[in-house]
Amino acid sequence: MTVASPSDARPSLRLPTRRGFDAPTVVVHIAVACLAMLCLFPLLLVVASSFTDEIALARNGYSIIPSQFSVEAYVAIFNKPTVILRAYAVTTGITLVGTVLGVSMIALLAYPLSRRDFILRTPISFMVFFTMLFNGGLVPYYILMTQYLNVQNTIFALLLPHLVGAYYVLILRTYFSGLPDELFEAARVDGAGEWTIFWQIAVPLARPALATIALFIALNYWNDWTTALYFIRSPDLYPLQYLLYIIQSNAQAMALQEQVGQIGTQKLPTETARMAMAVLATGPASILFLFFQKYLVRGVTLGAFK
Amino acid sequence: MARLGRRSLLRTATQVGVGVLAGVQSLGTHSIAQASSRTPASSPVLTYIYAGSSDQKALPDVEKALSALAMERISATVKLVTFDWGTFDQKISLANAAGEKHDLYYTAPWINNYYTNIRQEYLLKLEKLLPDLAPILWGSMTPETWDAARVGGSIYGAINQQIFVKPFGPYIRTDVAKDAGVEDAFRALTSYDDIGPIMAEVKKYIDSKKGGFQYVTVAANINATETFGYDVVDSGLVVKSTDTAGKVGLYSDTMEYSRAALTIRQWNELGYTPSEPKTSSEQQDAWKAGLSTMMMSGVVKPGGDAEIKARWGHDVISVAIAEPLLTTGGSTATMTGVNSLSANPEAAVKFLELLNSDVKFYNTLCKGIEGVHWEWDDKASLLIRPAGGKASYADNGYNPNTDWQFGNVFNSYYTAKSQVGAWPATADLNRNARPSPLLGFTFDGKAVDTERAACAAVAKEFGEPLTFGIVDPMTQIPALNKALQEAGIDRIRAEMQKQIDVWMAAKKR
Repeated sequence: MTVASPSDARPSLRLPTRRGFDAPTVVVHIAVACLAMLCLFPLLLVVASSFTDEIALARNGYSIIPSQFSVEAYVAIFNKPTVILRAYAVTTGITLVGTVLGVSMIALLAYPLSRRDFILRTPISFMVFFTMLFNGGLVPYYILMTQYLNVQNTIFALLLPHLVGAYYVLILRTYFSGLPDELFEAARVDGAGEWTIFWQIAVPLARPALATIALFIALNYWNDWTTALYFIRSPDLYPLQYLLYIIQSNAQAMALQEQVGQIGTQKLPTETARMAMAVLATGPASILFLFFQKYLVRGVTLGAFK
Repeated sequence: MARLGRRSLLRTATQVGVGVLAGVQSLGTHSIAQASSRTPASSPVLTYIYAGSSDQKALPDVEKALSALAMERISATVKLVTFDWGTFDQKISLANAAGEKHDLYYTAPWINNYYTNIRQEYLLKLEKLLPDLAPILWGSMTPETWDAARVGGSIYGAINQQIFVKPFGPYIRTDVAKDAGVEDAFRALTSYDDIGPIMAEVKKYIDSKKGGFQYVTVAANINATETFGYDVVDSGLVVKSTDTAGKVGLYSDTMEYSRAALTIRQWNELGYTPSEPKTSSEQQDAWKAGLSTMMMSGVVKPGGDAEIKARWGHDVISVAIAEPLLTTGGSTATMTGVNSLSANPEAAVKFLELLNSDVKFYNTLCKGIEGVHWEWDDKASLLIRPAGGKASYADNGYNPNTDWQFGNVFNSYYTAKSQVGAWPATADLNRNARPSPLLGFTFDGKAVDTERAACAAVAKEFGEPLTFGIVDPMTQIPALNKALQEAGIDRIRAEMQKQIDVWMAAKKR
């Protein structure tokens, strides 16, 4: 196996030149464009609704072009920005710390597992793999977190569960073992220690794979609300997605209360405010994705299944 | 901690692979004997979990004030834990399944399911403790009302005294009623049959105004079982409130259901209602945005108009159509249970007594601290207002606004002038309501769970279009009943009838 350098990969990824636009290409492009529109449409609808006047929305329903433009929803949210800003801080914090820590730990686990001269390679690999087949279920997980690790209602409850994913360890291990042994041997001959080999040879070569995994982990942290649902009770530690979930599910609970004859007079955010919250919560994640996308394509094609 | 944890782990080791949102169900058993034999600490801390909005900034202050009061009266302190409404179900069932040691929590048939909690043995039996340790609470309700909370002869939750009956009826915006000249006619309503001409007037009024209102009524749901004196047990199966023999019938097979469906259909054809179905949140948005002049069916209760005004900003006139009927479901709509693993079950029951009998204690939990969160507006009529000249209670950092979740609402201070006098009126309503022949009966549907799920799906598919009047009842009601038959409604009915007969025979003895 040879090192897959970016220059090797380029020809296969090159887009057809303008002259190369023939009928099949056009058909494919149109099909893909339609598919993309289908995916984008709901998102655009949410964005448009968040910019629609509340009464106009109730009157005319949802439309892709706001029937009556209004930024009221955003004004309402940023009038009392503490809640959403705090949630942003929590989510950004755990995403950054979690991604850096997670990638480091996964790399440090995957690299030794990729080395044929590591004695415990097979048993440890099996232990990693085993967690993908069986898990304890929700209640033991909850008991572990709350009664043994005692991390409930702390930031660690949000960080720990997504730190090391077995699947990512296996992907990275495969990637590392695809790197030529000769490189490491050469380094060893030149007098490099294990740490130097890891940091200066293995990690730089695995950069696309690491970036891909970093993206996956970052998205996991960004989109995670179930962990907060299980373990977080203090509003100060609510992540963004959980805040959104609470707003949506509270509205449903209010409807239930009415069925039993109780009118909860708590003020709920309006439909448009909920849409605006959704926009604010998804926006940064989409930008993150665009930023990492080039690594993602390369990482998946080069790393995963070699 | 570690010792208890291991025990819990053993207890739950059997439930590998529990569904994430399916509601966690422990297969193990809570050991009640163990809980009550544990020696209580000198001054126990009672953890009370309820649903609310978690952004109550002043909660620590309220907790401190309540603890001081509780220390004085029952030598215990209080720890309050709020779970957001939308997460309450999942959070409390996880905590229960994991064997956490909280003492009291909110439970009801519609959220944090009372019957599931009983089946999982998460709730302590209270029928022996209540008369001794909570005599005022015990005496505040009739034995029939307590029977509503009984399952297998035992009471597992303290019922909160509140409105038990559901006198459904329509409400109309006061401005519309006046402008369209239908106020007197509306106030004189006694059944939904007479509302047609009023709607015709209102329709004319809307059309003349061009724009503004969109629907005469955005919700046409006049087919609630209670409206026609039926006690719904489960899966659309009902018993008529006058039928002391307790014969189970299918609601969608009754004359009343057909007539209501035909009426709704007629309204739809006349353009009174939306041409396509709306979800309940869409209906509420439309009502709030001022697109609908009426709502067809809400619980019409003393002080209810003030609640509607507070929530939606519209002044309304409401008229109760349904005869108040005291049912099991209505009586148990809000309860507080004691955790079967509570280390201090006796203190917990004393806490229940305090919540339901001590006016100051109860109102501190419901409204906050006097002079900090609220102050007297008119002490003679028990009317309060936000402290410090604030516009709303939320501005002072404490406004859970769910008195009915905590205890006896008749001890609650009034927060609006129009509400004054609502509690004695509600108490009268409860007292004078006709008890359903099934009051105290609860259906155990475990044996027919599959059929119930199938029937629920059918009811949703066929029932909703009928409730919106967008299909023809003449063909769709027979189709609904046929589909229910195929889904196994008769097996549910047989099971239910069997249980009711046994229950009635036991009651006579």
